Amino acid sequence: MNPTLPAERRHSMPTRLRATARSEWVKLWSVRSAPTVLAATALVIVAGAFVLCSGYRSGWASMSASEQAAFDPTFTSLRGIELAQMLIGALGVLAVTSEHGTGLIRATLAATPQRAQLLTVKGLVLGAVVWALSTASSFAAFTAGRHLLTGPVPHASLDDPGVLRAVLGGGLYLTLIALFGTALGALTRSTPLGLTTLFGVLLVLPLTAGLLPGDLTDTILPYLPGEAGSQIWHVKPPSPHSLTPWHGLSLLTLYVAASAAAVLTLHRKRDA
Amino acid sequence: MTPTDPPAAHRPHATPPRATPLARGRAVLTSEWIKLRSLRSLWTTALTGFTASVGLSLLVCSSYRSRWHHLGAQARAHFHPTDTGLGFLQITALFFGALGALAVTTEYGTGQIHGTLMATPQRPLVLAAKTLLLFVLGSALALATVSAAFLLGQSRLTGTMPHASLTDPGAAHAVLGGALYLTLTGLLGLFLGTLVRSTAIALSTLLGLFTILPVLVDDLPKSPAWRHTVPYLPSNLGLSLWHSHIGFLVRPAPAAGTLALYVLVAAAAALTLLRTRDG
Repeated sequence: MNPTLPAERRHSMPTRLRATARSEWVKLWSVRSAPTVLAATALVIVAGAFVLCSGYRSGWASMSASEQAAFDPTFTSLRGIELAQMLIGALGVLAVTSEHGTGLIRATLAATPQRAQLLTVKGLVLGAVVWALSTASSFAAFTAGRHLLTGPVPHASLDDPGVLRAVLGGGLYLTLIALFGTALGALTRSTPLGLTTLFGVLLVLPLTAGLLPGDLTDTILPYLPGEAGSQIWHVKPPSPHSLTPWHGLSLLTLYVAASAAAVLTLHRKRDA
Repeated sequence: MTPTDPPAAHRPHATPPRATPLARGRAVLTSEWIKLRSLRSLWTTALTGFTASVGLSLLVCSSYRSRWHHLGAQARAHFHPTDTGLGFLQITALFFGALGALAVTTEYGTGQIHGTLMATPQRPLVLAAKTLLLFVLGSALALATVSAAFLLGQSRLTGTMPHASLTDPGAAHAVLGGALYLTLTGLLGLFLGTLVRSTAIALSTLLGLFTILPVLVDDLPKSPAWRHTVPYLPSNLGLSLWHSHIGFLVRPAPAAGTLALYVLVAAAAALTLLRTRDG
């Protein structure tokens, strides 16, 4: 390639990708809520370990033998993720809908008319930030839990089978939730609608499934996105009907991929 | 009267008298009612909440009916028609919280709140009018939703299955308790919305408080610390009001009192912030 031809450079894929990534990076951090939400996520994950692990330590003697046998120290340390998924999911939704709300999306699309590429880069940038933060937070929560679960309460170590997978899985799960939020935000293009859809799928569907007679719950619940994906940060399966960790994570990935595919198909046709 | 006197309409004291508190109150109530009535998202939320509750109740009761002969003896013995029939309340509460929050956050979202506060600088009056309307409309909607969903659900429990009717004292209390829970949750949503002024934050907080927090802490061992905190979560106070198996939870009457206390504290916080900060 002749480096003196500016036209060639303008169309070169790596340059364009780098430029899009840089602009998405700037936009992510200039959304006023992003640093706050990310800090709150880390806080919630670690605080969850403190509250839950001290709760189990102080009440361990009052638990029945079967409850004690079912106790999963790794999962308990990581359960702040259940609260953090709302923050991370909302961040994913807002990463798209706030641009539609302010009208910035028109400038963005004028600068990068390659819409599929734009959304992919947006997802990659957000996913990388969320993955780094939530993986670090998972390790912090696990460490906090190991120090809090003392005395007769069993604790886990990273060498135990499945434990490292669960701790790393916490970061993978939250990354997929962020991407799910991004896809739903891009589908709905509205903050309240996007948030309602995401929270409806992650929180209200499992509640609804729980109201049904036991055998129907067992049939439906394991296949819901949140329940399936959360198996990756369990060491002991919560029910005999649960999917295996990697099957569950793959199913969640499939849900995210399906919504991303819907976005890419629609996004190319819809006006901004 | 001498001809030099100015006409009555031009005299300074003839300017329209200051509105009496009663007239002002009625005017604010009217304007709040018009705003509430014209808010499309409020009607959609109310209608969706009603439909979802009735639908969920029918779905749950019908599936129990169809699975009844496959359920084990233990599951059948534990089946409680009122508790199962009212299970939808866990989800309906979210709609009522959203309803309350939307009644105020949409005004902040569109900027309408500036016009409202300019027309009525007596800010506590604005909040009082909203509260009164939401309480009246919310309790009527709550009672209609809970009774309709309960009755339709119970009508599906036929044959040898146990079922409840509104004449059973336990069931009547549970239905009234459920309606009270929904009404108070709506008010909590209103004051929360006033505090945070954003639909997204208000809805996320409500969901975190009513669906995630209970899942995280309900199953912790029942240590003294647990008994002094977890039963007082709003969702658990709600359970006290409509569920028959209270276990470690608060009795119904103190539960209603505590929930009302939460609403009062939220109202006081909302009022303080509303008075001190810019629109």
